[in-house]
Amino acid sequence: MTPDTLPPPLGEQDAESPLRPEIDPQDERAAVDPSLFEPPAGAPPFERTVLTTSLHAAVAAESRVNRWTRWNGFTVAAWLTDLGDEYRALRGAATLADISPLIKYRIAGRDALAFLDRLVTGEVAPLAVDRAMHVLFCEEQGLVLGDGLLFRLGDEEYRLVTEETHLAWLMDSAIGFRVRVEDVGDTLAAMSLQGPLAAFHLSRAGLAGIERLQPMAGCWAALAGIPVYVSRTGMSGDLGYEIWVDPEEALYVWRHLMQAGAGFGLYPSGVGLRELARLEAGLPRAGRDYLGAFAAIDPVHARTPFELGAERQVALVKPHFNGRAALVRLAAAAPPRRLARLVVDGLEPARFVSVLADGRPVGIVTTTGFSPALGCNLALATLDTGALTARLTVDAEIRDELAVRRVVLPARLVDEPFWAPARRHAVPAPLTA
Amino acid sequence: MERHDAIVIGAGLNGLTAAATLARAGLGVLVLDRNAAPGGLSASHEIAPGFRLPRYLLGAGGLPARLVADLDLARHGLRFVRAEGGVTLFPDGRHHAGYRDGAVHRREIARFSRRDADAWTRYRRDMLRAARLLRPRLETAAELPVTRGFKALKARLGLADGLAAMEAGRLRDTLDLWTLSAAEFLDTYFESDIVKVHLAAAAMMGGTLGPLSPGSAGRLLTPWLATGGDAAGGAPDILLPHGGSAALTATLVAVIEAHGGRLRMEAEVTDVAMKDRKARGVILANGEEIAAGAVLSGLDLKRSFLSLFQWKDLPQGLVGRVGRFRMKGATAKINLALDGTPEFPALPEGCPALAGGLRLAGSMDGMQRAFDDWRAHMPPRDPLIEVLIPSLSDATIAPAGCHVLSALVQYVPQTLHDGAWTAERRDALGDLVVARLEAASPGLAGRIVARDVVLAADLENEIGLTAGDIAHGEATLDQMFVNRPLPGTGGYDTPVRNFYVCSPSAHPGPLMPGQAGANAAARVLALHRKRG
Repeated sequence: MTPDTLPPPLGEQDAESPLRPEIDPQDERAAVDPSLFEPPAGAPPFERTVLTTSLHAAVAAESRVNRWTRWNGFTVAAWLTDLGDEYRALRGAATLADISPLIKYRIAGRDALAFLDRLVTGEVAPLAVDRAMHVLFCEEQGLVLGDGLLFRLGDEEYRLVTEETHLAWLMDSAIGFRVRVEDVGDTLAAMSLQGPLAAFHLSRAGLAGIERLQPMAGCWAALAGIPVYVSRTGMSGDLGYEIWVDPEEALYVWRHLMQAGAGFGLYPSGVGLRELARLEAGLPRAGRDYLGAFAAIDPVHARTPFELGAERQVALVKPHFNGRAALVRLAAAAPPRRLARLVVDGLEPARFVSVLADGRPVGIVTTTGFSPALGCNLALATLDTGALTARLTVDAEIRDELAVRRVVLPARLVDEPFWAPARRHAVPAPLTA
Repeated sequence: MERHDAIVIGAGLNGLTAAATLARAGLGVLVLDRNAAPGGLSASHEIAPGFRLPRYLLGAGGLPARLVADLDLARHGLRFVRAEGGVTLFPDGRHHAGYRDGAVHRREIARFSRRDADAWTRYRRDMLRAARLLRPRLETAAELPVTRGFKALKARLGLADGLAAMEAGRLRDTLDLWTLSAAEFLDTYFESDIVKVHLAAAAMMGGTLGPLSPGSAGRLLTPWLATGGDAAGGAPDILLPHGGSAALTATLVAVIEAHGGRLRMEAEVTDVAMKDRKARGVILANGEEIAAGAVLSGLDLKRSFLSLFQWKDLPQGLVGRVGRFRMKGATAKINLALDGTPEFPALPEGCPALAGGLRLAGSMDGMQRAFDDWRAHMPPRDPLIEVLIPSLSDATIAPAGCHVLSALVQYVPQTLHDGAWTAERRDALGDLVVARLEAASPGLAGRIVARDVVLAADLENEIGLTAGDIAHGEATLDQMFVNRPLPGTGGYDTPVRNFYVCSPSAHPGPLMPGQAGANAAARVLALHRKRG
C-alpha cells in the first residue's frame, strides 16, 4: 500500500491550519477511482508492474503528455509538459521534481562514524552535523561499487543517498560495528527544487533565511507546518535544494511549493530533465556512466575512482578503508581510462556511440544530450588515457526523414562542467535570477 | 550393401541434433532407432486414452539459443516460448518464484530479505561471468591438456591468458563453483533460507548430488548457460519449444529429411560392424548390415561399448574403464492424467513463473536427507519433486478440460537396500508423491484418472538407458569436461576409429541439451573434410 493512495487521516482534514492548504488527495486523481489501480495488499511482484512513489498523485496531476519511465523500479514521469519548457524553467527560474526513487539508507549507532570511515574512500570524520559530502565506496580491488551523498544528521546518525541498492554490501561491511543500517526508501520521500530562483521559491513558501544555507549543508525547517529537512544539494550544477519529508506528507509539501511558486515560473519536471541537467553539470551516474563492481559482468565496465576523475574523494592518507591497498597501487600509475566531458559541435541533436582518434576507436559514450542553452551536443564518455590529447571525432548519425546521415563530427574535451554558474556556491544565495 | 556417409544410432534429442547437423552439411545420414517413433527419452506416450506426454523425461530445460539458430529450426516450423524461471513451494505455504525482469525479481526476493534482493546483483554477475567463461568451451570439444598442435596450443594459451588476467579473487570465485557445495556457495551471497533453497532445489533436479555435497555448486550454473536474455536482470528464462519436446523432435526430423537424411524406425542396432579394428557400419537385429563412413552413437557410454561391440574387439582395458564410468539413476517420474485443472491455492493466480516448473521443497537439510536416503538405497521418504503441467500451455495433449501432470521425483534409488522395487513399493512411492501433491493442490488426488510410475529401472529396461541415469553419467568434475566420457578423452572420438559417442555421456554432458550431438557432428564433419 503506497501512502499516496491513502486518504489523509480525518484529524488532519479537519484541522484549520493556516499554514496547511486544504488538499484532498482525491482531487489529484482526475476523478478516477484510485482503488482501480491499487493492487491488493501483498500482491505478487509480477502483477505489480506500476510501483508509484508517494508523490505520484501530484506528479500525475501535472502530467500533460503522459510520458512515464522507470527508475529503480518506480514509475516516474519522463517529462510532464515539454522537455524544452522544463529546461527553460530550470535554467531561468526553477523546477520541482520527485526524486523519491533514490535509494536512502539510515546509518546510525555508536560506531556509525568508524563504520563509514572504513566504508568510503573520503574523509568522513570532518563532516559536521547538518552537512553533506559526496562519497565513493570501493570493493577490495579498488573498483567503485557506487557513489552517493552522505548526510550527517546527528552525532551518530547519517543518511546515505545512492542511485542503486547497496544494502548487502553495507550490512556485510557493518559486521563488528555497533551500527544499524536501514533502508529508509519507503519512509522518506524526496523532491528536488533546482534553478536560479530555487532559494526565492523556498523563501516565498515560508523558509525565511534559507538563502544563508551553505552549499552541501542542510537544516530542519517547516513547510506548510510540516517538518522537512532541506539540503542545498542537487544534480543540476546550479543553485538548488532537496527536500526530504515523510511520504505521508510529501503531497502537501509539493502542493504548497507549487502554489507558492505559481506565477513565478516554477515548473514541475521529470527525470528527463534531471538527466539533461546532470549531463550539463558533468556528473556521472552509476548504472549509466559506469557499472558498480558487483553489477559489471565484464570487469572492464567497472571503474576505479581515478578513472572516474574522483581523485579528490580518495583520501589515501586515511590509514584504513575498503580498497585502500589496491587504490594505493592504482594511484601510482596513470589510470588506463578516464571519464571525460565531450562537446560535439553541431546545431542539431545527433546520435553517437564511439569516440575516435585518427579514425581509431578510443572510447565509448555513455550519456549524450543536446543542450538547448549551449546549442551543442554534450556527452560523458570513457576514453583511453592516451587519447586524451589527440584530435577526437565521433561518428554521428543524424536522422533525416527516413534516411540516416552519417557524419564525422569533431569532439572537444572540456575540463570544467558545461554548466557551473557562480551562484551555485554563493552565500547568501541569490533571491533573484 | 546399403551405404551412408554417417549412421546415427538412436533418435533421441542428441542423435537427431547430430544427424541434422551432418545432413545440413551435405552428408548422407541415416538415423536408426529401435522404437516405433523418434524422440528417445522425450518421445510422447499415451498414458491414458487422450492423455499424451513424454513418459520418461519432461524437463523444463530448453535448447541453447545458438543451436536453434545453427540448425535453422524456426524456418522448419518450430516456434519458441520463453518460460520464466520456476516456482518453489514450501510446506508452510510460502513460495518463491524466479522472474525474468530484474526489478520484479528483486521485489520477489525482497519479500524474504531486502538484503538478499541487493545481493542478487552480485550473484547474477558471478553466474554470468562463469557462464561466459564456460559457454565457448561447451560449444566445442573439450581440449585435452596434452594435445599437441599449434591450434590447441593457441587455444590453451588463450585460456591461460584469461586465467592469468583474472585477479585472485575472481579465480577463487571460479574455483568455488566447482569445489563448494551448493549450500556453502549460496551462503556467500544470501541470508534467506527461502532464497537459497529455491536456487538449490532447481539445481539439484536430475543430478546425483545433494545440496551439501562438495562440488554441487556447479549445478547452479546450468540455467545460466542457455540464457540469451542476460539484459533483463532477473532469473534466467528458459527457451522452450512450442508444443513441447514432441514439436522439437518433429522439427529435427523435418530438418534431417529436408536435407536428404533418412530415419528408419523399429530398426534395432545390435552390433557395430568392424573391419581392421575400425567401425565400418552397423548390423541390425534382423541381420541386415548397413555400411557407413562414420557411426555415431546416441546411446549412453556403457550401452554404446558394452552392448554394440564384441568385447574382444575393443582395445585392452577399455571394457573396464567403461564399466567404471559412474551412471546412477536418481530420478523417478510419476505421470498423472487429471480430469480437471489442478489448483495451487498457495500460489498467486496467473504466476508466469509456473511454466518453468513447480518444485516442492522444504529445507537444505531436508534435501540433503533425501539425498542421503538415496545414497543408502532407502525408499524415498521426503523426496524433492518438480511438477510440470504441459497441458496448461498445449491443449492438444489432453481431452478438453483435462490435464496431464508430470512429477519428476528426485533422489529415488535405482535399487533398494532390502530387495526389489515390488509393485507395492512402486505404489507406495506413487502414493507418497500424490500425498505431497495433494497437500500443495487440495483435491488433486480425486481428479486422477490414470497414474503411471516410471522408475529408473524402467528407463533401463524399456529404453536401454543404463541405470536410468538421465544425465548419462554423473556430472561431477572427474567425469566432466576433458574427463567426459572417459578420463583424458574429452572429445567425441573413441578408441574405435570411425565410431563416435554423441550422447550426453560425452562432453558437455547434461549442461546443455543437444550440444553433445552438435559437437560430435562437428568433429565428424571436420574429419570428413580432412579425409575428403
